[in-house]
Amino acid sequence: MEPKMLLALVLTGISIASAAPIGIYQHGTVVRMRMGDCVLMHGGFMAAFGPPQAAQAEGPCPEYTLVTDKVVFVIVGKSSNQLVPLAEIIDFRFQKKELAVRVDDARHESKFAIREMTLRSEWDLLQKHIEQELNEPPRQPVDALMTLRSRE
Amino acid sequence: MHTHGHIRMALRFAIVALSALACFFSGSALAEEKSDDASVLTYRSNVSEVRVTFFVTDNDESDHPLETLSKADFAVVDSERIIRSFRSFGHSDETSLDVVALVDLSESVAPRFRTAMNQVLRLVAREQSIGDDNISVLSFGGNRGGILRGSGDTRASDTAPAILCADGCRSPDAMVSLLSAQAGGATPLYDALIFASDFIAQRRRDSVRPVVILFSDGADTISLHSRGEALAAVCEAGALIYSVDLGTSKPQELRRDSYFISGGVFLRQVSEASGGRYFSFPQGGSQLDAGATVLNAALDDLRASFVVTYDLPSREAGFHSLRILPTHNRKLTFHSRNGYDYEPSR
Repeated sequence: MEPKMLLALVLTGISIASAAPIGIYQHGTVVRMRMGDCVLMHGGFMAAFGPPQAAQAEGPCPEYTLVTDKVVFVIVGKSSNQLVPLAEIIDFRFQKKELAVRVDDARHESKFAIREMTLRSEWDLLQKHIEQELNEPPRQPVDALMTLRSRE
Repeated sequence: MHTHGHIRMALRFAIVALSALACFFSGSALAEEKSDDASVLTYRSNVSEVRVTFFVTDNDESDHPLETLSKADFAVVDSERIIRSFRSFGHSDETSLDVVALVDLSESVAPRFRTAMNQVLRLVAREQSIGDDNISVLSFGGNRGGILRGSGDTRASDTAPAILCADGCRSPDAMVSLLSAQAGGATPLYDALIFASDFIAQRRRDSVRPVVILFSDGADTISLHSRGEALAAVCEAGALIYSVDLGTSKPQELRRDSYFISGGVFLRQVSEASGGRYFSFPQGGSQLDAGATVLNAALDDLRASFVVTYDLPSREAGFHSLRILPTHNRKLTFHSRNGYDYEPSR
């Protein structure tokens, strides 16, 4: 084999090896985002009954609904500025009870606490139900007496 | 020898195949970009479509607005739902500004009152940027005589929002009116914002962006209306607020034990809610050019503005929050109004 060709093969091998974590990532889509409380991140027994913590995250924390093929996760960031780029597909992996999300094309990850996990099939059913509720025309007032009074 | 020949052949084949694949994917990407450019702008405003005007700044480039953007670069978060599929996307059709300078003349800004008025005078004098009929000056607080009062003002207070000049601020009479203003009294900032929102909403014209440049320390002391009402009025008017902080407190100061909110925090809040910007200038000579700096920023933002439209994601009545976030480049900051009101009956 020509030495140049061999060198090219070695370099390709090295580049693939350096990008090894890509293989272990799962893929999902963020479909919802809201700023919620950070209680999960700072909660727990020690936070409630232990000595007061000097530094805690201020402001709300971002909460994302991450949909995958089989499971839907609700994940929470640790501070108000822990934002995930909202690309169509994001890469993530599990790491010590947390969910590590690849935040850009580099190998930088951002770790999120998992607040909820739901089966995709159940989540789809629930969404369908919510959509139906929202699209239904507004119901008539239930309190007939109040309606009558307002007419009078 | 024979085996070496086979390996070489296989490698060559693999390289050719990879090149072909790369060409195919870059070609399809180009085709997609082309279809983006060809998308037709729609400016319809109806109940089935949401239309958002915004500009983008890059944190790496000293907050200068970006002039090129693709619709794949951002997603809209509309009441928690993430929107990536848009009806249309393109540059905004707004070509000029209607500027209302809203000046705080109250006691609390008295030490910086002269600086503020000089900024306003320099702003008014910039004929090359803004036409004479596109600039007005309103004030609140202070001691003024012989100026137009806000309509419906029944209070005997001298601090109520007032029009110092409108359409013709460069005339000698208007200049006298601006120069005769004096600082003093309480600060009806929230009332003034509602007054300015109403004033600018009545002047709305096609292709003209309404902008309020607010010179204040942000500390309200006497308004009849609440902070929430002021924010709602600003959003309703669709004007962008560019605030110049005349206060000395840092905008980060926020007392957690009460409802107190520092002036700087409010100014930042109202600017961000409207899709405008907040400016805080260090004490010193550079403050004289603050008005010009802010006006230049507003003009730059106008030239680099985009409009995106998408299907109304939910028919829930009431306020729908809005936020635009990047899909890839986390250094981009998107500036847009922070929500809209949806009423099905409209």
